[in-house]
Amino acid sequence: MKPQLDLIRRTVLALFLREMKTRFGKYRLGYLWCLLEPLAHISILLLLFGYIMHRSIPSIPFPLFLLCGVLPFLMFNQIVSRSLNALDANQGLLSYRPVQAIDLILARTLLEGVIGTAVFLLLLLCLALAGQNIALDQLPALCGYWLLLLLFSFSLGLLFMLLGHAYPESEKLIPLLIKPLYFLSGVMFPLALVPAPYQAYLLWNPLAHALELIRHALVTSYPADHVHGSYLLLWTLGLLFFSLLFYKGRANALRRS
Amino acid sequence: MIRFENLCKSYKTPAGRHYLFRQVNLEIPSGKSVALLGRNGAGKSTLLRLIGGMDRPDHGRIHSNKSISWPVGLSTGFQGSMSGRENVKFVARLYAKPHELAAKVGFVEEFAELGRYFDMPLKSYSSGMRSRLGFGLSMAFDFDYYLLDEITAVGDAVFRQKSAALIQQRRQHSQFIFVSHNFEQLRQFCDVALLLDSQGLRYFDDVDLGIAQYRAENHV
Repeated sequence: MKPQLDLIRRTVLALFLREMKTRFGKYRLGYLWCLLEPLAHISILLLLFGYIMHRSIPSIPFPLFLLCGVLPFLMFNQIVSRSLNALDANQGLLSYRPVQAIDLILARTLLEGVIGTAVFLLLLLCLALAGQNIALDQLPALCGYWLLLLLFSFSLGLLFMLLGHAYPESEKLIPLLIKPLYFLSGVMFPLALVPAPYQAYLLWNPLAHALELIRHALVTSYPADHVHGSYLLLWTLGLLFFSLLFYKGRANALRRS
Repeated sequence: MIRFENLCKSYKTPAGRHYLFRQVNLEIPSGKSVALLGRNGAGKSTLLRLIGGMDRPDHGRIHSNKSISWPVGLSTGFQGSMSGRENVKFVARLYAKPHELAAKVGFVEEFAELGRYFDMPLKSYSSGMRSRLGFGLSMAFDFDYYLLDEITAVGDAVFRQKSAALIQQRRQHSQFIFVSHNFEQLRQFCDVALLLDSQGLRYFDDVDLGIAQYRAENHV
């Protein structure tokens, strides 16, 4: 087992370094875009809703609220939506025997995870320096939810890669399904503001749980009675199990042209 | 030794299933380099991809206890926006230990003789330069079998001479499976032949016999 694990580690590292070079290589400011993209995103939302939201959610400062919504969601989106055509885009790589299809998604999750986490921490630090009071007494919980979100994204990414390969039509359909998730996950409004009958529907979405839990972990006064870590955990484990099973079943077909 | 057991391979096409191999059973003995003969579209590259493990048969299997390279062709696995060096580094990370990385990159850089192009994006390469990089890259690692898909055909005379010398040297320990339309070259490097055509896959234990058969059947 040991040499196999070592091979996976080496392969994922090689893919990780390669993705890092290709992801921002074509833009002029390179890696700076990791920071600029979410920053622009948050600024626009702040400009649009800053004043209203400041009054509607007194329990959490709105910039911090947005940071905890936008950053994790963008990270999730990057992993999942680019996994759909991962096989097509990397067909050449699979000619090297050590590279397995699952390594592509592993490397992507790792890269987006590292970028997303670094940017999140950096912006959090900026907020703290700007005088924002950030309590870190719930740090273990925050890390836990963050990792769970990454594992959830990985599982869904793996599933989408397999679906994209088995049914090419899904490359048209699935992006249409991902887009509304932005609104359904409460990236820019708290679920507590949604009227009860509709809130129950939104709570089906595990992603909404993840975002609310991350907010609650940073600001304890932010209400999180309606969301549950166990729900997110169950979803993640179930999805992971199912995608790995699907992957096992499709292992031969993935290599067959 | 590479053994094909009940190997079947077909492709789905709009005009129905196209069969390349039906129930192929044969064995390439150890220590023999193979000339793979056949016309364009006969399935030579597919066979190399099957042997290299990047494609799977419909039924049956390919059994070997040797290490086998990836199919070395013009278009495999390179990323156009990355430089030659970065592409080489990537593959070296897959196949070599971290401490060997620099040595492998150095070998390819020296062998391919791309000069400043080694640090330029791969999409600016000519096909000759691509083949130099691809061939040099595969030679940086020790495999029991190297799969070469018309890779030496596009290089210039200097490169061909250089690669011929390297192949001869490697043949003391490793074997080659060659796809080439240059009979001289095949005679020089290969011991046995596989002939692939509409009659299926046939094995000849002498490369000259295989070439003679191929020439007779195709009137060349």
